[in-house]
Amino acid sequence: MSTQANIGAEQRNIDERDVSIEAFCVTKADYYAPIFERYQRGQLPRWHMNIWAVIAPWLWSAWRGVWLMFWISLAIDVIAVVCLMQVVKFTPLLAEAQLDPDANTTLISRYTNWINTYGTIGWAVLILGRLWMGSQANRWYYDLYNRWRIEPSVAHGVSPKRLGLGVLIILICSPITTYRATQLRLDERACFNQVRATESVESLLAQYHQVPDVPALSTAVREDAAAAQARFDQLDAISDRTAEQNTARSAARSEARDLGRSAGLVEEYLAISKRDRFDCFFIDDFPTLARLDPPEDVTYRRVTDEDGITEVVAQVKPPVEGRKVTLFTYSAESIDISINWLRASFAGAFDAMTNVLRQSLIRVEVAFMQTPWPVVAFLFLVLSWTYTGMGTTAFVASSLAFLALFELWQIAMQTMALVVVSTAVCVFVGLPIGIWMAKNKIARFITEPILDVMQTIPSLSYLVPAVAFFGISQPPAVLATVVFAMPPMIKLTALGIRQVPESTKEAALAFGASER
Amino acid sequence: MSDAVVEIDGVWKIFGDRADEAMAAIRADGIGKAEVLERFQAVVGVKDASFKVDEGEVFCLMGLSGSGKSTLVRHINRLIEPTAGSVRILGEDIGKMRQDALRALRGTKIGMVFQNMALLPHRSVRDNIGFALELRGMDAYHCAQLADQALETVSLHGYGDRLPSELSGGMQQRVGLARALAADPEILLMDEPFSALDPLIRRNLQDEFLGLSENLKKTTVFITHDLDEAIRMGDRIGIMKDGEIVQIGTAEDIVTAPADDYVADFVAGISRLKLVSAAKIMVSPEEYQARRKPIEMAMEHPEAAPEDDLDTLVELSTHSDLPVLIKSDGALVGVVDKNTLLHGLQGSADE
Ligand SMILES: Nc1ncnc2c1ncn2[C@@H]1O[C@H](COP(=O)(O)OP(=O)(O)OP(=O)(O)O)[C@@H](O)[C@H]1O
Ligand SMILES: [Mg+2]
Repeated sequence: MSTQANIGAEQRNIDERDVSIEAFCVTKADYYAPIFERYQRGQLPRWHMNIWAVIAPWLWSAWRGVWLMFWISLAIDVIAVVCLMQVVKFTPLLAEAQLDPDANTTLISRYTNWINTYGTIGWAVLILGRLWMGSQANRWYYDLYNRWRIEPSVAHGVSPKRLGLGVLIILICSPITTYRATQLRLDERACFNQVRATESVESLLAQYHQVPDVPALSTAVREDAAAAQARFDQLDAISDRTAEQNTARSAARSEARDLGRSAGLVEEYLAISKRDRFDCFFIDDFPTLARLDPPEDVTYRRVTDEDGITEVVAQVKPPVEGRKVTLFTYSAESIDISINWLRASFAGAFDAMTNVLRQSLIRVEVAFMQTPWPVVAFLFLVLSWTYTGMGTTAFVASSLAFLALFELWQIAMQTMALVVVSTAVCVFVGLPIGIWMAKNKIARFITEPILDVMQTIPSLSYLVPAVAFFGISQPPAVLATVVFAMPPMIKLTALGIRQVPESTKEAALAFGASER
Repeated sequence: MSDAVVEIDGVWKIFGDRADEAMAAIRADGIGKAEVLERFQAVVGVKDASFKVDEGEVFCLMGLSGSGKSTLVRHINRLIEPTAGSVRILGEDIGKMRQDALRALRGTKIGMVFQNMALLPHRSVRDNIGFALELRGMDAYHCAQLADQALETVSLHGYGDRLPSELSGGMQQRVGLARALAADPEILLMDEPFSALDPLIRRNLQDEFLGLSENLKKTTVFITHDLDEAIRMGDRIGIMKDGEIVQIGTAEDIVTAPADDYVADFVAGISRLKLVSAAKIMVSPEEYQARRKPIEMAMEHPEAAPEDDLDTLVELSTHSDLPVLIKSDGALVGVVDKNTLLHGLQGSADE
């Protein structure tokens, strides 16, 4: 009786699940339901394949909403195709080299080698990748099903819209990648020349606003160049020129030269093929599109006048005619100028900070260096003994011995001082920021990326701005250390605070604590 | 103005980002829990709860897991803001209180014991107990003194310098209780304080708490999912189901007249011996004489008072074959014979 009830219960269970699988799959639920069940029971063989996922994994996964698989299969296929395209790229080169009697044999063997290797890898990646996708597809689909049961907004069912999106992604990514793989590496100079020609054509078009198009421009420029040349020739023919004629002659010469150069550039521009332009734009380095006027070149200087009042004086240099810079250069120059300004206007603050740091460094340093070495060593050992264990103490002892024997004691003490001061600064600055960050969402939003960046940039590079502001000596070293050591400090503080369990906070509140 | 210490009036709590919309929809269309979840992704935690607790009374909130007991009780010290309705403590609406006044209220008037103890792990037991006092600005010396007194009350003398993690669950729960008592609050909120303990320790602590509340006379809201506990501890009991309070009454009311099947199910297994009074089951003398036989006043009938429980009646009945006469101030008010008594014990007094 009870077993029967049990069987009934199990039956009901399975039915219920089938219904939910049907709601999840929408189509072909009778294919997926048994597979899911076998997978649950651990009876799904490793070689079980989803045929569609083998044939067109990206289409299948987009259709079913298994985006993880979509990206992985796309990546695998792209890798395979890129490898195979290498074969396509090198085959004609090989044929050429074989036809050429003078070709050196190393080139032939290298090409053959490349073709073989890339071919093998390409096919292997393609086939193994597909097989892997096929065997993995239903498992991932099952994971998705489980996630969907918890969170009904997870992608489920089948959707032509998703399929369309997948196809769109493939269309955007694949052709250009494939094309790139078939091309040899581009000549950077060619792209640079292209940019130069394009720019000069643009400025010429601005000058010759009556010409309709570039070919017309070409002729117009040529004509003008010829006219200038003719003027020059005419003036040149005069044997005894007046001073006036002399200036006119050299003006005509330089005009003819400039126009000639422009004409050459226009010609060059006309000669750029569509394909070269495409290659340079999409395949070469990211195109720096904008050319800007450089920022005003200002130098700030502190000047003390006769009354002893110091003020910041700005000196503007005249701009260099026609100089254009990229966005990068523009930013670099602006930063340069603003650092200059900061340094000039807040010299007092920087000096004060440097002073504070230097003074505290000196104090600590003195404390370390003037204490007789046996005392310092003894203190270190006692400290490590009380706070850690035997092992660490032994390590500290041997390190101290090393420092002493290799005559590094004084330097080590200086470094110690630096570390102590940096740590103090870290705690004083880092702790409040950490707490603030834990309490405040916006603060977290702002500080987190900054901290990440601080942590990823090598600490040596902090030295550069620090030196710029504080001059060369120990204080900038302290700052660089602080910048390096602070992010973990802040992050751990924030983490620690945020990890206080909800119930503990609640209890504290219940007894009259503030939210803090 | 009423003299109730805690007064909860029409409190709703809906969890979710769209709680207000959901509330409006409930008010307008009277939609149910499931629909609220579907349409607004919001969970109805408490549904239109109202009750009062008088001074010195122990009010038990009872219900199955997830019925919203913890949620409701957290409204009393406003750890949770109600979506609708009002909460008055000592006649004052705490929904309108400013933060500092609220903190003062929590620190001085309301003590809370938590389901999961929620002791602060980095503080010693003594510092945990003195926490509310410390927040109140009391100096360390007096804090420690009061904390030690509270420790004594829960018979944990000498454990003040331990960390909470060094104590057993039962001891931790006593620390939680001591923490709530230390500040000498007028109101105690106890959220399943004994649920996580084994039956023996639980009984012990229950007895201890009963002893304490006898002496201290604290107004208490006591949460439990165990009816036996509710009956032992509570002067009155409120039964919750799916966020709603379905019945409020004394243990006897609830056992003899359950409001619906849910409550009836709850009380089905409960022993009625100590709960039900003679007054609930007795038959009036007229009815008794009409149906059975005349009472022979000459004979030595056993006698009892209307408020005596069934246990007493059973005891009396075993010594005599005659029905028990229920007398109030010397006047005969009812009769209980063996049939009536057995029915009463079984729970079908209405025949
Ligand atoms: N912060 C929250 N967010 C969303 N839903 C919540 C939240 N807190 C509680 N709930 C829901 O409110 C309902 C009542 O929870 P509550 O904790 O009050 O139950 P309880 O009666 O105390 O149960 P237990 O006996 O297990 O402690 C539950 O359905 C729960 O899912
Ligand atoms: Mg609870």
